[in-house]
Amino acid sequence: MRILILGLDGAGKTTILYRLQVGEVVTTIPTIGFNVETVTYKNLKFQVWDLGGQTSIRPYWRCYYSNTDAVIYVVDSCDRDRIGISKSELVAMLEEEELRKAILVVFANKQDMEQAMTSSEMANSLGLPALKDRKWQIFKTSATKGTGLDEAMEWLVETLKSRQ
Amino acid sequence: MFAKLKKKIAEETAVAQRSGGATRIPRSVSKESVASMGADSGDDFASDGSSSREDLSSQLLRRNEQIRKLEARLSDYAEQVRNLQKIKEKLEIALEKHQDSSMRKFQEQNETFQANRAKMAEGLALALARKDQEWSEKMDQLEKEKSILTAQLQEMKNQSMNLFQRRDELDELEGFQQQELSKIKHMLLKKEESLGKMEQELEARTRELSRTQEELMNSSQMSSDLSQKLEELQRHYSTLEEQRDHVIASKTGAESKITALEQKEQELQALIQQLSIDLQKVTAETQEKEDIITHLQEKVASLEKRLEQNLSGEEHVQELLKEKTLAEQNLEDTRQQLLAARSSQARAINTLETRVRELEQTLQASEEQLQQSKGVVAAQEAQIQELAAANQESSRVQQQALALEQQFLERTQALEAQIMALERARAADQTAAEQGMRQLEQENAALKESRNEYERSLQNHQFELKKLKEEWSQREIVSVAMAQALEEVRKQREEFQQQAANLTAIIDEKEQNLREKTKVLLQKEQEILQLERGHNSALLQIHQLQAELEALRTLKAEEAAVVAEQEDLLRLRGPLQAEALSVNESHVMTSRAMQDPVFQRTPNGEVGAMDLTQLQKEKQDLEQQLLEKNKTIKQMQQRMLELRKTLQKELKIRPDNELFEAREKPGPEMANMAPSVTNNADLTDAREINFEYLKHVVLKFMSCRESEAFHLIKAVSVLLNFSQEEENMLKETLEYKMSWFGSKPAPKGSIRPSISNPRIPWS
Repeated sequence: MRILILGLDGAGKTTILYRLQVGEVVTTIPTIGFNVETVTYKNLKFQVWDLGGQTSIRPYWRCYYSNTDAVIYVVDSCDRDRIGISKSELVAMLEEEELRKAILVVFANKQDMEQAMTSSEMANSLGLPALKDRKWQIFKTSATKGTGLDEAMEWLVETLKSRQ
Repeated sequence: MFAKLKKKIAEETAVAQRSGGATRIPRSVSKESVASMGADSGDDFASDGSSSREDLSSQLLRRNEQIRKLEARLSDYAEQVRNLQKIKEKLEIALEKHQDSSMRKFQEQNETFQANRAKMAEGLALALARKDQEWSEKMDQLEKEKSILTAQLQEMKNQSMNLFQRRDELDELEGFQQQELSKIKHMLLKKEESLGKMEQELEARTRELSRTQEELMNSSQMSSDLSQKLEELQRHYSTLEEQRDHVIASKTGAESKITALEQKEQELQALIQQLSIDLQKVTAETQEKEDIITHLQEKVASLEKRLEQNLSGEEHVQELLKEKTLAEQNLEDTRQQLLAARSSQARAINTLETRVRELEQTLQASEEQLQQSKGVVAAQEAQIQELAAANQESSRVQQQALALEQQFLERTQALEAQIMALERARAADQTAAEQGMRQLEQENAALKESRNEYERSLQNHQFELKKLKEEWSQREIVSVAMAQALEEVRKQREEFQQQAANLTAIIDEKEQNLREKTKVLLQKEQEILQLERGHNSALLQIHQLQAELEALRTLKAEEAAVVAEQEDLLRLRGPLQAEALSVNESHVMTSRAMQDPVFQRTPNGEVGAMDLTQLQKEKQDLEQQLLEKNKTIKQMQQRMLELRKTLQKELKIRPDNELFEAREKPGPEMANMAPSVTNNADLTDAREINFEYLKHVVLKFMSCRESEAFHLIKAVSVLLNFSQEEENMLKETLEYKMSWFGSKPAPKGSIRPSISNPRIPWS
């Protein structure tokens, strides 16, 4: 199983990756490049790729799309200014042929912060309800607190299992 | 070094940018634009070539410009060549250094390892020997202790056996004692029982005796009573005889009276008969009188009738009535006489009757008296008879009583004799019993004494036993402790043995590892030799190249002189051509790959140009060779990397360290790669980040697992702008790497075993 973690820079992708892998909050530096780790969840092994989200290296995301089973799209729930950019990146990504069959899981991250957007607000601003032919789900998460990740992974595992 | 290189590259790229004139153009777009520019310029050049005959001067100008350009280019080339040489030298140095360092490292590692191993082996051997000695000593000691303990144990066992025997004997004795005691008790009980029985018998006998005595008393009393009765009866009898005599006398008197009375009766009966005759005479007279009365009454009745019939006759009637009254008076007199007679007669009869009655009464009374006396006599006779019977009975009773008395006497005598005998027997029994009792008591006392003795001995024995037990338990504890100690020692020994075995195993493993490593090292050395050979050949080539370069330089110097002349000639002609030159220059700068067509299209006419083309060809060759060398060096480096990886894997160095090492080391490699990137790729505004990204991706690509690396081929190809063939080549090499430990690399077009989905080509 190959999963990509995508999202704008500073959304918390690397923190989520290592929270999923070792269950700890690690101190991260901006990822220039990517991190790849094998995450085992419910006896399923995932090769999780956390791709750097900085503007200059976002074009390289498409190099990793092939053979991807699921995309975890991480959004900073407090970053209302860049939600539009996030949406356009998401839309561009979902238009790729190689990701036609990939499952989309949106992590409305940083829910532990004040003024965090709700999941419905987030879904609407990302234009998720308009998605056709796509299995998607949005989860409120906090990578530092570790909340919501289990539910999200649960859903992902179930969905991947049912798809097989 | 890296920083310097980067800086250099940055400068170069900056120059390129400046010359390109385009700022922050996306990579692909800029490349296209450059390509198109190159194509345009080529077209221009071709058209210029066709119009040369018409306008020589302009051509000359152009040539001049071209020459200038070429000069500039040449100088550039020279610079480049120098750069390349420098790079090459650096590379060589780096390579040498690297090799040296790696060799040294290997040697050091090997030495240290061997030293360590030798030390370890020595240390272990020493430790083992020491341990062995210690343990053998300990074992000896323990065995001695064990023998002592076993001896003690044996003693203890013997003691305990003795003790058990004694205890058994004691138990037996106790049993015997108890048996005897019980026997004695039993006997005593029996005796007591018999005594009781005898006493009971005695009591019964005495009771019988008393009863017989009572009976005797009763019988004697009865006999006395009977004798009294007899006396009374005799008295009674005498009185009765007297009475009888009296009664007989009265009877005779009564009989005489009766006879007198009977005489009187006869007299009376005679009188009665006279009276009855008188009565009959009276009655007959009365009857005659009544007949006369009746006759007279008839004469009265006939006279009345004659009176009635002779009415006149009244004096007659009165005489008749007087006669009648006289007759009636006679009649009345007679009647009265009769009545008087009659009454006297009745009176007589009555008196007689009363006298009869009285007589009869007296008779009856006398008869009654007689009868009474008769009854009395009968009664007295019966009484007499009774008395006689009673007398007889009494005599019989007296006889019986006597007999009884005799019997009783006999019986009492017998009983007394019995009692005496019984008493004697009892006394004998009692004495016997007492004797038995005394004996038994004596026995009992003796037994008690013996029991006490036994008890004392038992206590002593028990005490001893306790002591022994205590001792035993202590010994046991000691022995258990010793056994435990022994066990522990044994365990420790086993552990040590195991440890020794483990250590030997580890040593074996280490030795094996060492052997493997030496093998690997040998392989590596061979490879290094190969590499050195390759390197030597490369050096040789470089030398050749340098020689050629020297030749070229001399040629160039010559040319430069010629060109300078030409320049002087051509300099006048053209500000127009300067533009083209600049365009050409930029074109030359940017499209090094397109050099061949550009230079092939140079005109044939001039010697300098010919030389230039030759030079360029040579240069191209050299460049190609250089590229090839670079490639081979890259490949070798890759192989080196892989070898190192395998070596590290075998040395069990964690991949993290490897990663760190890989991060620390890649300086020379990156220095090698960097120019190619900067030369081929266009630079964006985020050049720094892009470079970082590239570095990271390449690093990862080199360091991560093959399965992950496979996903990175696309990214690397995109970043390094690989062509489809290059990308495929990369894939194949990766495939080859993935089947490193397998058989030969799979031929082209075959399905990869580890990747299921066929790749969709990058669109």
